[in-house]
Amino acid sequence: MDSTTIRHLRESIALLPVGDLAPANEFYRRLFELAPEVRPLFKRDIGLQAKKFSDMLAWVIANLEHPDELCREMRALGARHTGYGVQVNHYAPLGSALIWMFQRSLGDRFTPEMDEAWMEAYAFLSLEAERGSREAAVDSPTQRGSA
Amino acid sequence: MTGPGAHPLPLDAAIVSQHVDQALSSPLFRKAERQARFLRFVVDVALQSPEPTIKESDIGIAVYDRRSDYDPRTDPIVRVEAARLRARLREYYEVTPPERMRIDIPKGRYIPQFIPVAGKPAQVGSGLSILVSPFRSLTADPSDQTFCDGLTEEVVHQLAQDRQLRVITQSAAAWLEGRDGPKPRYVLEASVRRAGAEIRLTLHLIELTDGGSTHFSNIYQATLDDTFAAQERLAAEIRGDLAAALHLDKEGRERVH
Repeated sequence: MDSTTIRHLRESIALLPVGDLAPANEFYRRLFELAPEVRPLFKRDIGLQAKKFSDMLAWVIANLEHPDELCREMRALGARHTGYGVQVNHYAPLGSALIWMFQRSLGDRFTPEMDEAWMEAYAFLSLEAERGSREAAVDSPTQRGSA
Repeated sequence: MTGPGAHPLPLDAAIVSQHVDQALSSPLFRKAERQARFLRFVVDVALQSPEPTIKESDIGIAVYDRRSDYDPRTDPIVRVEAARLRARLREYYEVTPPERMRIDIPKGRYIPQFIPVAGKPAQVGSGLSILVSPFRSLTADPSDQTFCDGLTEEVVHQLAQDRQLRVITQSAAAWLEGRDGPKPRYVLEASVRRAGAEIRLTLHLIELTDGGSTHFSNIYQATLDDTFAAQERLAAEIRGDLAAALHLDKEGRERVH
């Protein structure tokens, strides 16, 4: 990701209301609309899940200039989620719900450049998560838990 | 988003199909069933039509089971997946350097391009590697930096057409930093100044293996009447000059002296 992409990512996150979990809750609501089959994978309270998601977004934004760290964390996340039953095909509605969350929360302030930046970032992050998932599937094919 | 004007090169359909089969059987695609369908769908359309056109909603309906009245603006699943597919293809070709052809799905389009690969593919670490630094605007106007970003993208794209040239972007350089392996031989830097509609670009090609000396330098001028046309024209001019400066022949190979 170049400096312009990173700038657009940071500007978009900065526009979200601080400490407000409404966007993250909207993300899950939209995800379950787009892909109802993933709803049973989330066994914990969605409010707690939204907090985790919000924290993860903040962590990603803080580490955009550290691709090694991002890769390591995304692979670990992908590996964990394989255990929860997440499949490669689920990354598509996740990405769509993420973009929709920004559209919904920011309206016209979510610029085409921000949209493009998130497309690029999500492609990078989700492919790293997939890589972790492939590696985990080889290491522990029977692991199961809850997202 | 449609894809007119991006018709694939006249490669034999059987070669293309075989190439797709090979890619889809790789571990990168094996469990990515929708991404595989996406690739197969756009390739099939491109092979079957002399002037293929694919809309975002066509893919949404054919590959992602969306209803015919779905709105891609509120469900951008196809654009998300297109970005992921481009990244996946890039990764696939890094792992499996193409021998006869490669598939490219240009940004903003869904029609794939089938690009023949002549001879042995460029090897990672070959002598002609260029790191393209993001071009800088020397004015305070943010739109000038946007122009520079677009121009950088266009230059990377055009240089990447030379098969013996290994083009490294700034983001890839960040990724490679601290890792073992060959470093780029050249760095391409440029700054842009603007006065009204006139822009002046100063370009330097720096050879890192020669103590950072400037191998080639030039000044280019353009008028900003049409941004995309200006970017394309400048990038083509830069590509031509670099090919001459690096002694590349028409196939993109460095001449042996």
